[in-house]
Amino acid sequence: MDSIVKLDKVIKVYRVGDEDFAALHEISLDIEPGAFMSFVGPSGSGKTTLLNLIGGLDQPTSGSIYFENVSLGNLDRTALAEYRRKNLGFIFQTYNLLPVYSVYENILFPLLLDGNRESAVRQSVEDIVASVGLSDQIKKKPAHLSGGQCQRVAIARALVKKPALILADEPTANLDAENSYQILELMKKLNHQFKAAFVFSTHDEKVTKYVNREVGLEDGRVRWDKRRNGAGSLE
Amino acid sequence: MIFSIAWKNFSRQGIRAALNVTVTALAMIAVVFNISLYNGFQAQTTRNMIRTDVAGGHYRAPGFDILSPTEWEDFTLKIPTALKDLPPSDKAEVLVQQGQLFPNRRLYPVQMRGIDINQTLLDLPLEGLKSYSGKVNDIIPAVLGIKMAQKAHLKKGDTAVLKWRDQYGVVDARDMLVVDVVTMVNSRVDEGVLWLRLDHLRDMTGRPGEISWVAVKDFQGPVAAMEFQTVEELIADILNLIENDRKYAKIFWIILIFLAGIGVFNTQILNVFKRQKEIGTLMALGMTAAQIVGLFTLEGSMAALLSVVVALILGTALFAWFQSVGLDISHLSESTIPVHENILLDIHSSEVAATLVIIVCVMVLVSWLPVRKITRLDPTLALRGRAIT
Repeated sequence: MDSIVKLDKVIKVYRVGDEDFAALHEISLDIEPGAFMSFVGPSGSGKTTLLNLIGGLDQPTSGSIYFENVSLGNLDRTALAEYRRKNLGFIFQTYNLLPVYSVYENILFPLLLDGNRESAVRQSVEDIVASVGLSDQIKKKPAHLSGGQCQRVAIARALVKKPALILADEPTANLDAENSYQILELMKKLNHQFKAAFVFSTHDEKVTKYVNREVGLEDGRVRWDKRRNGAGSLE
Repeated sequence: MIFSIAWKNFSRQGIRAALNVTVTALAMIAVVFNISLYNGFQAQTTRNMIRTDVAGGHYRAPGFDILSPTEWEDFTLKIPTALKDLPPSDKAEVLVQQGQLFPNRRLYPVQMRGIDINQTLLDLPLEGLKSYSGKVNDIIPAVLGIKMAQKAHLKKGDTAVLKWRDQYGVVDARDMLVVDVVTMVNSRVDEGVLWLRLDHLRDMTGRPGEISWVAVKDFQGPVAAMEFQTVEELIADILNLIENDRKYAKIFWIILIFLAGIGVFNTQILNVFKRQKEIGTLMALGMTAAQIVGLFTLEGSMAALLSVVVALILGTALFAWFQSVGLDISHLSESTIPVHENILLDIHSSEVAATLVIIVCVMVLVSWLPVRKITRLDPTLALRGRAIT
């Protein structure tokens, strides 16, 4: 199967004070369409850096990243923004919902950015709100939701435009165990439903039980790449 | 789309937006109020001088100098026909002579200022003199301004010996009766001035038909044996004072604008600082840098325009109230500046417009600059809230 994302000898070096700090060392890997995988490792291992590079939020120091065979290195800032808008959904550890918007408006927002009229996509938004179980909270603002509910909104926002790839940075880090499991169940279900590839960064062992593929990172290097079928409770 | 998002963002920020708008509106009001108060002070000063003393200019005996009392007697002349025939609403004949008052056995040098009692050109409260006949008797009726009365320790109904010299240098003295003590808005026609009927002063000094100057409503063309002094020449010292004052007022205005700008900058930059993560999120969601900069600049513009509206509403109410009470400057009663009534605002539309435009521009600029900086950095910095620190 053709990969949706391909990393080829990606190196990322940060300048910290007077010294260079290598966050990633020659990372090469492929991500398949519809994948449900995680980058696992301790803090500072390079998980978030890797997600940011794939998301076009950061640039590699050297090496190449391809999305559907297009090198992100050839895209300028505006093209990168379009790449994110058309192809990606982001889920953040701290949810990053727009605080002045309701649940409905937060989820509607990416569709409006894509040039849709609200009347044309209202049903899609309501459907996805229903699929994350928040129909009764649709008019509420993030400040009036629990952490788990906020993360559900973030998931719905990431999925509503039906992107090919969802990047989730520590999506369960701010949630208690019960909410974490619920969120993971939900993402697994939506992965099946929408066929979007989910890529997590995490050091949460609960997440690793659900994914089909686990890429272990340490000190910016890939230490293991385990694939398994039947992961998670849905299987 | 950007407009509706900006409006939604702005209108739903609640207390933060309200605070932002209020601070900016108050800054605008403070700046306009300050400069308008200066304007009012200066306008009233000039107006009082013209209303009570200068009118549209003076025809004077050549060489007459109000600041040289010992020479006043040498610079009087018969009023020329061309000026004498003007109606009382267009001219005020004035004769000024030196005198000495002896209130309570003290000596008080005074300026005896005789004025045509029928004139209506100058706004002087001298009605108290009208009931007396044109022929001076044993007691000379006089009107004093409050400051003069206070300094001479005289009140209405008091008498004091008044001494003077006539045109031949003969010293004469008689009792002076204070028929009225009046409020003069111009201290220059109050302090040291004894207001007499012109016919009385002419009679006392043996100068029938003579004047020191004739204040006129309008320039009457050249008049033989007299020189015309314009309003600007007559209030040159006040105009110089105002000119200097205006320079300082402008500097103060610039400082206030600067301070208001810093206040607005501080509020806006704090707003952007707090929304760094939001900016990062918008970038992650696929908004371009131009869209984000446009969004925040539009929000800043909305805040600026609303600030203008709030400033106009609050300012109109505040200024209307202020115009009904004025600023009490009675503590300045010892100064020689010719303003004693409450100061009112003199609002210049050009200064209001300049103030509003500058503050609006500052607000839009400080909405645009930091966001532009953030969008030029890595989105990851914005997402971590570290793009501006």
